Amino acid sequence: MTDKSEAALGPEQVEILGRLAGIAIHPDHLPGVVRNLGVVLGQAALLFDPPLDPLIEPATVFRP
Amino acid sequence: MTVLQEELKRPESATAVAWAVRTGRLAAVTLIESLLERIKALNPRLNAFTRVLADRALREARAIDTMVAQGRDPGPLAGVPFGVKDNYDVAGLVTTAGSIVNGDRPPAVEDAVLVRRLGRAGAILVGTQNMDEFAYGFTTENAHYGATHNPLDPVRTAGGSSGGSAASVAAGLCSFALGTDTNGSIRVPSSFCGLFGLKPTFGRLPRTGTFPFVHDLDHLGPFAREVADLSLVYDLVQGHDPGDLACADIAPEPTQGTLGKPLPGPAALLGGWFDDLADPQGREAAALVAKALGATARVTLPGAVKARAAAFVLTCASGGNLHFEALRDRAGDFDPATRDRLLAGTLIPANAVLQAQRQRALFHQEVLAAFRRHALLIAPATPCSAPLLGQPTIRVAGEDLPTRPNIGLLTQPLSFVGLPVVTVPVRNGTMPIGVQLIAPPWREDLALRAAARLERDGVARGPGEFV
Repeated sequence: MTDKSEAALGPEQVEILGRLAGIAIHPDHLPGVVRNLGVVLGQAALLFDPPLDPLIEPATVFRP
Repeated sequence: MTVLQEELKRPESATAVAWAVRTGRLAAVTLIESLLERIKALNPRLNAFTRVLADRALREARAIDTMVAQGRDPGPLAGVPFGVKDNYDVAGLVTTAGSIVNGDRPPAVEDAVLVRRLGRAGAILVGTQNMDEFAYGFTTENAHYGATHNPLDPVRTAGGSSGGSAASVAAGLCSFALGTDTNGSIRVPSSFCGLFGLKPTFGRLPRTGTFPFVHDLDHLGPFAREVADLSLVYDLVQGHDPGDLACADIAPEPTQGTLGKPLPGPAALLGGWFDDLADPQGREAAALVAKALGATARVTLPGAVKARAAAFVLTCASGGNLHFEALRDRAGDFDPATRDRLLAGTLIPANAVLQAQRQRALFHQEVLAAFRRHALLIAPATPCSAPLLGQPTIRVAGEDLPTRPNIGLLTQPLSFVGLPVVTVPVRNGTMPIGVQLIAPPWREDLALRAAARLERDGVARGPGEFV
């Protein structure tokens, strides 16, 4: 299952990421954010293995 | 049998109620007064409704009775009581979407489009219903408004995020309800409460007047105790509305007259991801449905694992984006279970989001290929039947996984590509479990046909005989 593959990000890194994004994460909220970001980045990692063809069309395509 | 179950007597179907009201055999006011008493008695234990609209419901009931007395047509759903999830606009009320963060928004000036359409058909709105905050959850354990209890066993979750809507219908507090489904929020509560639920094709029903979660994954749809009711309600809410740019400009395609027709091709059982992550009860339920529908083939969708991952990433990122300002300015007002995930969503690299969109394109092609050979696909709706409220983990494929994010494992890949799905309740255990009938895009009629056949054959059953 995929929830095992948590990315190793620490509170300090997540706090910095928050500042870059424009959000000051309250220290009380940091542990939960770190945990959840780890889970979602673990899921994201699945999307890069193997890498996708960059020419795959993600846009809305109108067909006559 | 619990005391609560003793009280859950089988209410009449929406179709039967409307017939009785239309023919003057039952006054809508009498019906609504009785229902309001029932809500008063049961809702404190279920916490399904957040706001009961007694004055409005009685006013509308009086109007229906007047129409009947005057010989005017009160509509095909005359007097039928229904509820809506707390993310539907109701005129004069703040659309909370299950959060106090929305508390300072102005009240809605008019009902959501689907509520208006049902009102024109004679249905009577009796209240708004509990949900996970901002629809981000599968258990309806809401820090602001409390947990909704499953009417079949109140120590268990009703599912989410449309848990209040499902619990209301299962408990006979309304004849049907409208929910929303972004990653499984109609199908999961249908599974846990033993109901029929429809998540139509993305773009079929206009979302005008509802509070969004993930714009490109949000769907609206009904819950009902019987397939005929599900079909009737669905038919009455179809139709384009320019207020939702994603709503297809296509004419309504009624399904009621098609419920007795056979499927135009073979059905198939989904294997792989959808089999591996189901528990024995779910696997057995899907097999029972497959057998009843004559589905002998088994299809695997290898892209399902990545489709689920991509849906997970897109949902988190989109939610973080949608609520960015509130997360920045008043994160402490969020439900902690929602807040930390949404905050994480604001930090997801764009690279991952774009990759998720590419995965969607790939999976879209994969499922369309499966529908070239099969008219319908079958899969369990949830990895297990309703867990206990507060249960931290569920057992999935031999592992204990956190409950909240993993209940949608079997629903997420399908809504990710916008397929129409009817969930049917199978009662092969102490609690029911849902099976998804997955149709090609725009073919809700096929999923409803199969559901009707399963109901006729006794394979799928609403809550009536359960209590």
